[in-house]
Amino acid sequence: MLSEPTLVDLAPYVTTKVPVSSLESLTLARSREMMPTVPHFVLLLFSLSILSSTARSDLVISRVDRRIDLTSHIVRVLSSLKVENVGAGAVSEVLLAFPNSQAENLATIKTIYIEGKGKGQGSSSLPTARVEPEGVPPELTFYSVSLPKGLEKRETVTLDVLTVFTRSLKPFPEEITQADVQLVLYQDSAHYLSPYAVKVQTLGIRLPSRRVESYTKYPNTKLVESEIRYGPYENVPALSYSPIVVHFENNHPFVVARELVREIEISHWGNVQVTEHYSLVHGGAGTKGGFSRIDYQYRPSISGASSFRQLIARLPPRAHSIYYRDEIGNISTSHVWGDSRRTQLEIEPRFPIFGGWRTSFTIGYGLPLQDFLFESEGKRVLNITFGCPMAEVVIDNLIVEVVLPEGSKAISVSAPFPTRQWQEVKYSHLDIAGRPVVVLEKNNIVPEHNLYFQVYYKFNNLSLLREPMMLIIGFFFLFIACIVYMHTDMSISKSSASYLAKLQWDEVQATVQQVQNIISHFLAVHDRLEASLRDLSRTGDVQSCKAARKAADGQLKELTKELKPLLGFLQSSPQASQIWPKVEEVVAKEKEMQEKLMQKHSTVVDCFEKKLGGREIENRIASQQQKLSALRQEVDDLLEVIDEI
Amino acid sequence: MASKPISSPVPVAWYPSLAVLMLSIGLVVTASFFIYEATSSRRNRSLSKEIITGAVASVFLGFGSLFLLLATGVYV
Repeated sequence: MLSEPTLVDLAPYVTTKVPVSSLESLTLARSREMMPTVPHFVLLLFSLSILSSTARSDLVISRVDRRIDLTSHIVRVLSSLKVENVGAGAVSEVLLAFPNSQAENLATIKTIYIEGKGKGQGSSSLPTARVEPEGVPPELTFYSVSLPKGLEKRETVTLDVLTVFTRSLKPFPEEITQADVQLVLYQDSAHYLSPYAVKVQTLGIRLPSRRVESYTKYPNTKLVESEIRYGPYENVPALSYSPIVVHFENNHPFVVARELVREIEISHWGNVQVTEHYSLVHGGAGTKGGFSRIDYQYRPSISGASSFRQLIARLPPRAHSIYYRDEIGNISTSHVWGDSRRTQLEIEPRFPIFGGWRTSFTIGYGLPLQDFLFESEGKRVLNITFGCPMAEVVIDNLIVEVVLPEGSKAISVSAPFPTRQWQEVKYSHLDIAGRPVVVLEKNNIVPEHNLYFQVYYKFNNLSLLREPMMLIIGFFFLFIACIVYMHTDMSISKSSASYLAKLQWDEVQATVQQVQNIISHFLAVHDRLEASLRDLSRTGDVQSCKAARKAADGQLKELTKELKPLLGFLQSSPQASQIWPKVEEVVAKEKEMQEKLMQKHSTVVDCFEKKLGGREIENRIASQQQKLSALRQEVDDLLEVIDEI
Repeated sequence: MASKPISSPVPVAWYPSLAVLMLSIGLVVTASFFIYEATSSRRNRSLSKEIITGAVASVFLGFGSLFLLLATGVYV
């Protein structure tokens, strides 16, 4: 038989029967101050629950086992419900109720539906959404779980509801010295608050250590090692709330990020760059009385038990170019090690963080593109995690900016939970119109929010060439400027003697270059003739030799014709007086070479026709050969001299 | 849903080698451009030859500098 305190009995109970522990009277007085709010709430609830019929009678919870995990600064409550339909028709939703004070701190709620028994058990996640049914007291917030198929009469369904609360552990005392341990308060209800009647329920609260200052003692309460067990309680009516307060020691690092800005920049050349700007604060009991470094370093067991020195971040595998810096500069106290499943980054801020202290820093890393960017149905999909890679961090305000390459169109986002979204533009390297940025914002983030979200967009592969095109056009402008500079005539006076002299010298230079060109053509013809002679000695084909001779003759005639006007100009120009004799010499020598070569050629052809031996031929052309080589040498030397002028 | 991963059109491991190769070719062509400018006289210069040399040099220099930026980690 249940002799639990009903709602009416609670008021005197709460104010007098709280067990007094070894804390000073100050603590008791403080708790008396706090308690008056609880009976107010409780009385209101009781009155409203009598007056209105919000208790639902179609469903009954046959069993609920609650496990509250208080080991971290994030409170996780796992309630296993067995809901039975005792009404007339099928029911498609189950309502969950939370007091408003708790619902404000609710970060995420997840319902898992367990079907089947034993080996064939499957679990799937059910949509849970906030609803506002009619006729409910305003102090409660309701969430509705939609069942996949309606629950028939007299059927039972098993649900696992995981709720995560932030800021539910209140440090008490609110300020501690460096040598104190951190004690926190947690308030909840021993009875499961539900719009349905509950047949059997138990509650287990897991604490981080065995040190418990005080906890509300109801009948059927026991403290077993570091777990407080309430229950089992039977046949509790709907909307019953019996408050409990647990005052215990929790030295888990209370890492709270007031603001985190994550910038994810995609480059189609093979890199996803993530930059995270953190602004952290220690969310636990504030520190008073100064900080003693000696105590902290030499007596670590009794100093700074609730402070933290290190933060561990779990980055995706194959992360590279990791940096950790703040406004002062690089922070070198960090370690990275990685394997094929993750890259673990352990960072140490510049100072240990005590209660109320703040620090801010930036972490950046690059990821390979093929791990996160995919192509599906003509669109590109970026699949990346939403939350922060650090362990056990509560984020007050998270802003995720996804910077897509310039030229991305038709951008859409699909996230597993509601967020505020808008678009911006960012100007970066080699940008003309700027890169589109999708910004997602959400408040009250816990590690359970670290799920994947997708950004879809269209991008034409040819747009990738825009960047090298810009560089190429830039360099081309340089060359055009050079050409324009060389072609324009920027002298101020166009009739001065020096300017005219320069003009004439340019002309002479041009003519000399042309002469040089022609001479090199001559020499090429000579080479060809020599080659034909060698061919003759190899193959004995006299006809082709004769044909080559004919062609050479023709070419030489043409070249001589071209040379004539140039030589005439050079002769007449006064500027060329220095260079003219040299040019004359070259031309004369070249003429000599021509004659000698023609002689040699005819001699060799004759000999071949007469079928004379090799040595005879050599004897006859020996002298000519000598002269030819000497002349060749001289011509080359002269050309060099002319070049240098 | 068949989603295949997208990666860079040029393998990332090639970036430094490509940068050096393209930049050296580009610089050689630039050198030949400037030599032509310096040695040819006003009358003999041919505009088409200059422009073509300049264009080829700027293509190689453009790609070379792009791969240089990518190889040093500035993923543009």
